[in-house]
This record gives sequence, C-alpha cells and structure tokens, in this order.
Amino acid sequence: MFRRILHWLCRLILAGIFLYTGYIKLRSPLQFAAVLAGYQLFPDALILPMADYFPWIEIALGVLLLVGWKIRYVAVAACALLASFLAVLSITYFRGIEANCGCFSFEDRISLLTLGRDTLILLPALFLALTGARAVKSEPAPAKTT
Amino acid sequence: MRISYLVSVLCVGLAVFAAVPAQTPQLTPEQAVGGKLDAPVRIEVFSDFQCPACRGFFLDSIQKVLENYCSQDKVCVIYHEFPLKNHNLARLAARYSKAAQRLGRKQWLTVMGALYTNQAEWTWDGSVDAVISRTLSPQDFAELKKRLEDPSIDTAIDQEVALGEKRQVTSTPTFFLISGGKEERVVGGVPYVVLKGYIDRLIG
Repeated sequence: MFRRILHWLCRLILAGIFLYTGYIKLRSPLQFAAVLAGYQLFPDALILPMADYFPWIEIALGVLLLVGWKIRYVAVAACALLASFLAVLSITYFRGIEANCGCFSFEDRISLLTLGRDTLILLPALFLALTGARAVKSEPAPAKTT
Repeated sequence: MRISYLVSVLCVGLAVFAAVPAQTPQLTPEQAVGGKLDAPVRIEVFSDFQCPACRGFFLDSIQKVLENYCSQDKVCVIYHEFPLKNHNLARLAARYSKAAQRLGRKQWLTVMGALYTNQAEWTWDGSVDAVISRTLSPQDFAELKKRLEDPSIDTAIDQEVALGEKRQVTSTPTFFLISGGKEERVVGGVPYVVLKGYIDRLIG
C-alpha cells in the first residue's frame, strides 16, 4: 500500500513539475531562449529551436506521467531530461557564469540551492524508473469475501 | 482514445492559455528611439543607465536592431527610464536622457550611446555632465542644460517608473516584445543573434 501511494505521489509531483515548467517556458519562448543563451554552452543556431521544442517535451512527459502510459519508459526519459538539465546547470555554475536557472521562474539565479533542488527532483523520477509499473501491479489483490 | 483526447485538449488549452494579450500603454512617437509606433514588432525597454546588463543589451543588441530593423520600420524600439533606487547616479543619468529626448531622436540616441559606452567612467566619478558635453554639439548641450531645469523632466521619469511598476518590472533591463496583439515579457538582456532570429520569425 505504502509503495503504491509513493508511486502515485512521485507521478503526481513529477507531472505537476513538468506541466508547470513546460507551461512557463511555452508562455515566454524568447525569455527561455535568453536563458539558454545565458548558459553560454549551446551554438547560437540551436537556441531558438531548443526554446521551441523543449517545453513541449516537458508537457508531453507531464501528461504521460499523469495518464500512466508506459510509465517506466517515461520515467527513464524524465530521468535523462532532468539529469541533462542538472549537468548543464552545474557546468554553468562551476564555470562561474551568472545565469538564470530557468527552472521554475526566469528570475532564479543558478546557485548551490537550485542545484540541490534539481537533484531532489531527480529522486522521484529515479524511483519510478527503477520500480516502474511493478509498484502498482505487484501487490496482491485483496481476497474476496462473501 | 481517451488518452489521446485528454492530451490534445491539454495541449490546445495550454497553447491558448499561454498567449498573453498585449497591454497597450499610451505611447507617443517621441518615446520611440527607433522605428514607427505602428511597426509590426514593438520592443519596449525599461532600462537603468547605471546597470551593466542594460549597457550590454543596448550596445550589443538594441543598437543592431535600430540599424537593421528600425531603419526599415520593421521594429519600433521604445525606451522607458527605470532608474533603480540602489544606483545613486541612475536618476541623474535618466534626467539627461529625458532632456535629450526632448531635443530630438538623434540627440537622444547620442546621449544614450554616450551614457552606456562611458558607464564605467561616470559611475566612478559622477561625471555625467562631462561625458555628455563632449558628445553633443555646444548648441545642443546648452539647450539640454536649459531643458534639465524643467521640473516636468522629473515628472516624466516618475511616470515611466510608475508604468514599469504597474507592468511588474522589478529589475533591469526588462523588455516587452509586442507583436500581433500578443505581448511577451523578458527579464534580462537577449543576445542579438537570438533576438534577430525571433524578430525574423515574427515578421516573416
């Protein structure tokens, strides 16, 4: 039962995060492009296409986590996305570049706090990737009583 | 079937919800540093002369937009004074800029360029007056000094600060890009190459 609740909680938290962060990026594509440029990591030609497609990937992941379709694969994709985002932020931070995180708002500077927070977000995605649908399905059905 | 229906409803809903209608403040042609007010794209910048990021945005991006787009009336750039309280000389620089705006677009651009280019100098020793005097002609500089005494300069700056606060500007540079009745708020500067790509897409 506990595992089932945890599984649902992880799905809901991650889905909420992806839908929200995707929405704010979709609402301000130029602002998001400015944040991507601020990392000084991507070629200029890639910045606008990335700003266009990235929010839809987040929204798609959020919706798929909510509906629970192929949950394990979706969780693995979420892990990959979060890990790559964390890597980009860490590289930017340790290069000493003052840039916005672009995670939950566009006025959030990259700091150890934002890196810690993003690492925490990775945990529910890892849990889902490791347990997948088993957490829900493996529990024995309650015995029928007459 | 149910899943695909849910996904499509969500996507359409998000796309509709994401579009923010433009709030059009009362603007006059004199507020435009480049282009005409009815240009397909309008950029409204809230800026502080003492802010290094504003300097970078003006010199690296806005000046190129003025050169490549405003000259063809494809983009209109409007500058609003937004001197931050923690910058002790920002208000003084904004007064010079506002007075220069009243002399004409050419003089205004010259003063803005001089203030941003020599930012390190006048923020160090407070020599705003000296920096402006060597960039304007003696006649224009004398006229500017006369305009600086007009108390309506301060009123105009206060009105622009109030407009910025009303539009939730809290840091500089913050700009609004308005096109096709939609407005996008951007906090911080944007490299020219990104801004150019975005403008090109908007004007087709």
